[in-house]
Amino acid sequence: MSSGSSVKEETIPAAGQQPKILIVGLGNPILGDDGIGWHVAEAVKKVLLVGGAENPAVEVACYSLGGLSLMERLIGFDQAILIDAVQTGSGKPGSLYDLTLNDLPDLSTGHLTAAHDTSLQTALKLGREMGASLPSEIIIVGIEAEKVYDFSETLSPEITASLPEAVNLVLKQLNKLLRRSSQSLTV
Amino acid sequence: MTRITIDPITRLEGHGKIEIFLDEEGDVENTYFQIPELRGFERFCVGRPVEEMPLLTNRICGVCPEAHHMAAAKAGDAVYGVDPPSAAKKLRELLYMGFFFTDHTTHFYALGGPDFVMGPDAPVAERNILGVIHKVGLEIAGQVLQARKYGHTVVEMLGGRKVHPCTSIPGGVTKGLTEEEREKIEGMGEWAVGFAQFSLDLFGDIVLGNQEYVDLILGDIYSDRTHYIGLVDENNKVNFYDGKVSVVDPDGKRLGKYAPDEYTDWIAEHVEPWTYLKFPYLKKVGWKGFVDGNDSGVYMATPLSRLNAADGMATPLAQAAYEKFYETLGGKPVHQRLAIHWARLIELLYSAERWMELVTDPEITSPNIHTVPTKVPTEGVGIVEAPRGTLTHHYWTDERGILTKVNLVVGTTNNYAPITMSIKKAASSLINKGTVVTEPILNMVEMAFRAYDPCFGCATHSLPGQMPLEVTIRDVDGEIVNVLRQFC
Repeated sequence: MSSGSSVKEETIPAAGQQPKILIVGLGNPILGDDGIGWHVAEAVKKVLLVGGAENPAVEVACYSLGGLSLMERLIGFDQAILIDAVQTGSGKPGSLYDLTLNDLPDLSTGHLTAAHDTSLQTALKLGREMGASLPSEIIIVGIEAEKVYDFSETLSPEITASLPEAVNLVLKQLNKLLRRSSQSLTV
Repeated sequence: MTRITIDPITRLEGHGKIEIFLDEEGDVENTYFQIPELRGFERFCVGRPVEEMPLLTNRICGVCPEAHHMAAAKAGDAVYGVDPPSAAKKLRELLYMGFFFTDHTTHFYALGGPDFVMGPDAPVAERNILGVIHKVGLEIAGQVLQARKYGHTVVEMLGGRKVHPCTSIPGGVTKGLTEEEREKIEGMGEWAVGFAQFSLDLFGDIVLGNQEYVDLILGDIYSDRTHYIGLVDENNKVNFYDGKVSVVDPDGKRLGKYAPDEYTDWIAEHVEPWTYLKFPYLKKVGWKGFVDGNDSGVYMATPLSRLNAADGMATPLAQAAYEKFYETLGGKPVHQRLAIHWARLIELLYSAERWMELVTDPEITSPNIHTVPTKVPTEGVGIVEAPRGTLTHHYWTDERGILTKVNLVVGTTNNYAPITMSIKKAASSLINKGTVVTEPILNMVEMAFRAYDPCFGCATHSLPGQMPLEVTIRDVDGEIVNVLRQFC
């Protein structure tokens, strides 16, 4: 994985049609394993382009955001796949998790956790109450991270090794969403 | 009290920790506030071109990338000894007003507001932005999101990206403003001034109209007589982007002002054995421990500090709000930490008014936005006010502009000592022998630190997305008697 590319932040707008599914790589690309979400998203993007599986309904982005700001980026999409580093404290580095938002603790229902922001769950509730068009389904692909406190553009070896499998998991989830989407379109 | 040793290995657990130690009587003996530190940034930067720093440093923090972007650009100007054209400085400052407007709005409504709107002892499930919205109305929620959107739009138009701007470089900026863009930003700015006034009115109705809250703000629980610092312009008015750092003592007397390259004459760092993070203090006053008063070099750098360290605000509506602030709170300086929330709203109004001043400045659409650096790069310091306090970037390079050394003093680091003191004072006031420590009491301890809106090395965004804070209470034997962590 080229380290130089990871400092860029880019979005691939699909031509012709309003994107309906957003794939987001989350994390900080200069903070070691915290950048794994970006690496996976960039690899997924390449597969979609090179493999001929490009679909105008799919957009891929990389963000270093959470809470309210992330919620604001999800507006207008029907479904979303979030790819991010996870620290369960018990998993082996590189372990993959197929999660939903309900699987994650809602850390800022009070104040103790969020120094500057609210949780994504709370932000989504807020957005929906405001009538924002937010994804009805949010899938999370988590990768157990090891080093997220040391500045580095390099991933730990175990995390790097898990990259192809993580990409496959994202593509599998994407296909699932696309199939469901096309079914609903025919209806 | 039993000897307290906190194993360094446990220092970095990915969350902020408040440890409260009780004595034999059950009163608070001491408190510790620990912030995990992200490691190795200076090392990470060495060997890179200095012009990369505005891009790299805005990845340090997920909350205020724009502040690091600006400080890095200004340090880059200083390294190359280049003075950007006037229009470039105004464009940077306009971007910065959009950022401040967004950040201060979010803090008040999502973070500070719940304690006042819902009350410090409201049920946890309601003490959040959703609770605020339900209480004050959905229409206001729409305005909060609109405010964020407008601020983001200004950052995107001038910074080249939705987040993490990329247009400031040594010598100026890479992107100017078209007349069409300018008109859009002006329209949004008019709305922003109204929204800021509305927010101040809301604070007046909800907080100042409630004697219980006024007593809470004015009470001794949340007060420390420290020194204050903040950036001021040539008229000693608050400025976020440029100027000198004004330093005032606990009586409000100005001890002096320092230019960015003089910061090491004024600021030194104290080391404690229980934390890796250092405690900056005023070198000319000296470190006397975690105590307040004129002889203690502990200083604070927050919205309240900026107001205390300045002679006023540079825009008319914010100046009127500034005067009302000091009249209401009994004169200057104000030491009550919960007043930071009010000061933040006065700054919100200033940012909106300054936004309008800049966007209506005829020079703002000038194409003269960059001065090509021609001098041999050496060393430079850039200072801006980040929403959470004075932000200093100091770079050293070789003759090619390749970084050889980097030093950053960030907002929360400035405030580490006063936050530690505020927590101890709140805990000591609220937890005494026989106190049943409830969640609302711990929340009130936490309010002492939340007013500062500290950064917990927030560059990390691994799911579930936030750095949690843990409050632990230990008895005289060091045994844990109560822990508050999450609400799940």
